[in-house]
Amino acid sequence: MSDIQTTIINFIKENFIMGRSETKVDPEESLIESGIMDSTGVLELVEFLEATFNIQVEDEELVPENLETVKNITEFLKTKGIS
Amino acid sequence: MAGLVHHFLEESARKAPEKTALLFNEKTATYQEVDSLAGKVASLLRHIGISQGERILMIMENSLESVAGYYGILKAGCVCVEVPDKSTLAEAAYYIANSGARICILSKGSARRLSDIDIEFVLSPESSFSKPNITCFTWDEVYGQDEDPDKVMIKEDDLASIVYTSGSTGRPKGVMLSHKNLFTNTASIVSYLGLSSTDRIMAVLPFYYVYGKTLLNTHFMVGGSVVINNRFAFPNSVIQDMVDKEVTGFAGVPSTFAILLNRSIFAKTKIKTLRYVTQAGGAMAPALTKRVLEHIGDASLYIMYGATEASARLTYLPPERLLDDKLGSIGIPIPNVTITIRDNEGNALAPFEVGNICATGDNIMQGYWRDKEETDRVLKPWGLVTGDLGHMDDQGFIFLTGRIKEMLKIGGERVSPKEIEDAIIESHLVHEAAVVGRPDEFLSEVPAAFIVPIDEMAFDLDHLKSFIKERLSVHKQPKYWNIIKTLPKKPSGKIDKGALKQ
Repeated sequence: MSDIQTTIINFIKENFIMGRSETKVDPEESLIESGIMDSTGVLELVEFLEATFNIQVEDEELVPENLETVKNITEFLKTKGIS
Repeated sequence: MAGLVHHFLEESARKAPEKTALLFNEKTATYQEVDSLAGKVASLLRHIGISQGERILMIMENSLESVAGYYGILKAGCVCVEVPDKSTLAEAAYYIANSGARICILSKGSARRLSDIDIEFVLSPESSFSKPNITCFTWDEVYGQDEDPDKVMIKEDDLASIVYTSGSTGRPKGVMLSHKNLFTNTASIVSYLGLSSTDRIMAVLPFYYVYGKTLLNTHFMVGGSVVINNRFAFPNSVIQDMVDKEVTGFAGVPSTFAILLNRSIFAKTKIKTLRYVTQAGGAMAPALTKRVLEHIGDASLYIMYGATEASARLTYLPPERLLDDKLGSIGIPIPNVTITIRDNEGNALAPFEVGNICATGDNIMQGYWRDKEETDRVLKPWGLVTGDLGHMDDQGFIFLTGRIKEMLKIGGERVSPKEIEDAIIESHLVHEAAVVGRPDEFLSEVPAAFIVPIDEMAFDLDHLKSFIKERLSVHKQPKYWNIIKTLPKKPSGKIDKGALKQ
């Protein structure tokens, strides 16, 4: 697992999974459908990505293809030059 | 004479069985299909020995199954207890104990989170629960049921729903709503919005929330359609769905509109079929109201006000008056509701005098479930005391000026600071705690906690945060933490929350 993926998963676990660190986050599972994140959760995640990786996420980019799963997020970050 | 809530579904299924009732993901369900599935839910409940009047807990996001579950529970003559789908195990345990529910209906997401739930029966897509004494049914078993031809005798004054709302005492209180309460309120909303069978609403608000539930009931009453979209986390996909599914209506709380206007393509998108937009769930800043108006084209904006204790709706501002001269008002009473402004003794006040906003009408709750003391506090001979302060102008338009209670309004949901404070204190890490609301761009308000650690040197904030995450839903968890040496106090010894807010 890449460092970036680990960073994202740690953020999700810390902020959205009720502090149960042993809970597994499947990189290909929808973070919304699994009930892990809601609408404000996505905004918190975007703020985290912007601050941590020093990138700008445009409104048009707030789509499931970029943010639905941990895998999508890491792919999205690659398009921003983060890998 | 009012009717029964599940008659909305049954009547529409009889009049237009093939009409699309629900649109979700890329699927649809007709009125006949929804009614049939609801009948099977009622059948299953009867089959496992659930009696009329029993409370059935539902912890689900919006779906075909949650809609069928709701109307199925009502068809069986039972009481639907719908609570947030993101409820924690501790919250679910409270709802089970308080309502006395023996069965809980879960969705895939909630079943996964609540695998340690302790209750007699569960209806769920998955059957992996840790407690050995649980009898679990799956939706396949519901689909396999015969529809029960026996109808139970249900009266309009019978209880239909218990909806939990945060109380001043901290623990959520169950608002008891009868069929008559919900039926009359639904009819009033249909009337002032001018809804018909050609209307199609985009529902991003959860149905466990009374405002969300009005979207379902009003459209089922007129035989319209409801688009379910639980993906407001990605507002752009909701906007695209509104265009693709040709919706005529949209409903949101202030945070919905803040997100749409600040972090989505809403302002750049034209939704040609949109006829109206409604807003309730807390006062929206006039500046945001103006921005919404700028971006909805010819659609009308209805500013509304209500309370869970009023089945949902109490007032609305006619759109033409919003444009005219009443920006900032919550409008006039809806049909069949009377609003008065009174002092603490119940005396009616003159125009422009600030007092308690009180309401009467067939939509006012029966009381709080098993809580006479709290019921007596808000249900007075002169009506429901909403807990909001305001005044009426000389034309009968109502303006909110504040809340009596310290209740926070986070993204449209009422949250008691005491519930959060109690959870913090429960950690035994903190000597004293006070929670106040802090303005937030997206949620209107978020909790900010001020804490006095028992042992300042050994205190670990991360430890406390983990403790809170185990107990409270995400929206109730403080977003700001302030560690201080003492809390400011009033002469009476009470914590001076006004000072903390500054």
